Amino acid sequence: MNATRRTLIGLLVLLCAATVTQARIKLVALPERAATVIRLDNPNATLIEEERVLTLQQGLNKVDFSWKGVQIDEDSIRLQMLDHPANVTLLSVSYPPGESALVWEISSGGDFAETVRISYLLRNIDRLITYKAVANKAETFVDLKSYLILRNFSGEDFDKARVLLDYGEAFEQGIDHEETKQMLFLSEPNIPIRKVWKFDAATLPWDPERLDNQNVGIPVSYEIVNSKTGGLGDFALWGGKARLFQQDGRGGTIFLGEDNAALVPVGEKMELYLGDSRDIVVTQRKMRDAQINPRRNNSNQVILYDTDEIITAKIENFKDSPAVLTMIQHIPGQWDMEKCNLKYTKKDAFTLQFEIELPARTEKGPAVQELTMHYHRRNVRPGEPPMPPVPMGRR
Amino acid sequence: MKTWIPFSLTALTQRPAAGQPTVNATTRGSGKHVCSGVVRRYLICSYEHTTSRPRLIGFVSILVAIACTAASAKVDLTTLPSRDTVQLTIYNSADLTLARESRALTLKTGANALQFSWENTLIDPTSLEMLPKAQAAQIDVAELVYPPRVRNLGLWNIASKVSGKVPVEITYLTSGLAWRAYYMGTLTQDEKTMRLQAYVRVTNNSGEDYENAQTRLIVGKVHILDEIADLARRQYPYGRPGPVIQPAAEAAPAVMRKRKDAPERLRELAEEAVLKPKEIVKEGLSEYFLYTIEGTETIPNGWSKRLLSFDIDAVPVVNLYKYEEERYGSNVTRFLSFKNDEAHKLGQTPIPDGDLTVYRTAEAQKHLSYEGRSSFKYIPVNQEVELDLGAVADVVVEPNLIETRTDNYRFDNRGNISGWDEVRVFSVQVRNTRDVPVKVEITRNFESPHWDLQRTGQADGFEKVDLDTVKFTVELPPRSQKTFGYTLTTYYGVRAEDWSRSTR
Repeated sequence: MNATRRTLIGLLVLLCAATVTQARIKLVALPERAATVIRLDNPNATLIEEERVLTLQQGLNKVDFSWKGVQIDEDSIRLQMLDHPANVTLLSVSYPPGESALVWEISSGGDFAETVRISYLLRNIDRLITYKAVANKAETFVDLKSYLILRNFSGEDFDKARVLLDYGEAFEQGIDHEETKQMLFLSEPNIPIRKVWKFDAATLPWDPERLDNQNVGIPVSYEIVNSKTGGLGDFALWGGKARLFQQDGRGGTIFLGEDNAALVPVGEKMELYLGDSRDIVVTQRKMRDAQINPRRNNSNQVILYDTDEIITAKIENFKDSPAVLTMIQHIPGQWDMEKCNLKYTKKDAFTLQFEIELPARTEKGPAVQELTMHYHRRNVRPGEPPMPPVPMGRR
Repeated sequence: MKTWIPFSLTALTQRPAAGQPTVNATTRGSGKHVCSGVVRRYLICSYEHTTSRPRLIGFVSILVAIACTAASAKVDLTTLPSRDTVQLTIYNSADLTLARESRALTLKTGANALQFSWENTLIDPTSLEMLPKAQAAQIDVAELVYPPRVRNLGLWNIASKVSGKVPVEITYLTSGLAWRAYYMGTLTQDEKTMRLQAYVRVTNNSGEDYENAQTRLIVGKVHILDEIADLARRQYPYGRPGPVIQPAAEAAPAVMRKRKDAPERLRELAEEAVLKPKEIVKEGLSEYFLYTIEGTETIPNGWSKRLLSFDIDAVPVVNLYKYEEERYGSNVTRFLSFKNDEAHKLGQTPIPDGDLTVYRTAEAQKHLSYEGRSSFKYIPVNQEVELDLGAVADVVVEPNLIETRTDNYRFDNRGNISGWDEVRVFSVQVRNTRDVPVKVEITRNFESPHWDLQRTGQADGFEKVDLDTVKFTVELPPRSQKTFGYTLTTYYGVRAEDWSRSTR
């Protein structure tokens, strides 16, 4: 053991007939730590439960619990009697000055070898989850693996402990201070995925020709459903870093990208952003923006008007495979559509979603779809910004 | 060999810190491993030794069989698996390379441990994965342990139901290898066609010498959360919970060291290069393009290698000139335009982004003149390419305002102006002083979306780009000029409302 290592959690039982004010005496053999449980079911804190056998004598017993160099939340420490809860009572807890320690005063109804459970929140010991997904060449399925990473920087070594997650069987694992362990805990082959290309007119540039020699990447994601039909669905998938690979058809893989997965409850979708496609090109332009139907006050000033707006978008697929582009358009305020040549669904009052099917490119050139939206914003007040603000991309 | 043997033995007998499994080197590495590419390896090591480079332990793996728990047992080294093959997949949009090695391990029935160290490399330890490639059901790679108070070391605990040689594949992400594309264009004297030569240049600053590696290059924009180099330099592979303790400043990895010359090595590389140019096989995968370089490559740490990607003679090009005051100022900007398709002898794969140097054949003796420098953005198959060669003076566009007037005033009840038209007449002269034909695009932006336009003169094309932008196109033979005109009427106030009504 390294000489600079911090000390372990110590437990001393002091048999004491003297008064409480007597100075603490540090003696007596340490009771061995018995069953230890590391509970990692709450992502915000790690709960340790350990059992020890205290040799108590009838009357007042003092038990000294110290944790020098170990990151215990001292307000979280609990003591539970397991053998004689009716006859053994915790009377008080005192904290000596300048020490990471406390003294329990325990009243015992007899001479007992009492098993007690000490529980406390221990800082700097936690778990991470990472994912590794390998897609098939057609990008229709992934083999999903998830790893549990145990990190112990608490100052305490655990030789053998039962590790509990929020689901699944507890398992036995030892982990030393400053040690990190990576364990495979989920491996599910052939999980169906959906590949999604998404153009959001509020966040992406509209007209690539107006950019100086730059490509506009269309974000690409995989969607995985945490359900039985999706090959999963037994429990919520924890959030963590996901790395995505794809089989290259020659026994190897390529790395597709990585993303942070959020916690995905059963039945919900995990969306993993891979990178950007530069083989689908969207050129969006506003072709008309005129005021119509002006209404005036007595001073003949326009106080209310409607708009007449036309937006076109040309979508080109330069890929040699088909794709479905999810296109998000935004129209603020009150509006109605005069004419739109492609079907859309309203995601909310101001957001339109198009699912645009793009065939593969042919020898003649890219597959092209054109969207034309002719709409009117209604009852616009001059000088007042629309709610929500008009998103125009980076025009 | 003299330099290499102690060098490698030092690596093998490296001991973890106190409290960790002790490794006793009872056998040295297989002769095959040490001797493969002996001369090359010897030269590198010899050089490194004499320049007192920080010693590269590299990627050393030691297979150990253990009798009891990893934490307490005395561990005997039983075999050193050699790296049989290595494949590198190098990305250009991020400092990222996927390395895949195959090695043959000798396992014993029961618990086995495999120790890995990656001192002085730029490997991301969280990306390490080992997969048995045979008898996978019998071999359980139970866990990967990063022991306490030891840096750059991992221990795989493997439960095996079989004994004997097992091929495994070890993959990891590393930083420090990079590639980029660049181009040379040579225009013919009449500038109707251009020879386009594309190169890739692969550079290894990873801290590790990769010998005989199958090299693959990825074109595409990959999304990563953390820089691999940052992950490689972390004190703890997955970081640590709680307050961050800054580690002491480290010696820079091998990336930073300076090399003088290594003439023998240079000659070797040159000899390899002239034997025959290697082919690059290209294929699409997901949103990426994968370039696989024929055969294998040896790229020692610190070295770069240039390879020819394609060489297409006589790509038809158009001399395209653009004029747009708001974007390019008062000068005309020159572009070379063509399409990444079969008609232009291209179109097999996308063209990766990279710099382009353009020359022109100056005379019959094939002397060259330098025309300019440009850069490709990523060009998908079938897309138009426009290569910006910068401002020129030999093609001139002069727009002149010939006449301006206002008209059609409207007045409100109190006699104030409530609307009017503004009429402006422009004459645009386009001159080509060059001895080759040119195509000129003139873009005009208006300050109002309420306008009408009437055209006169010799423009060859006209397009409304968007609500306040139009584009004229003029094609000019050598040493010629054309003039076209337009009358722009813009509407203000209630006249704009009239315009909106009338144009619905």
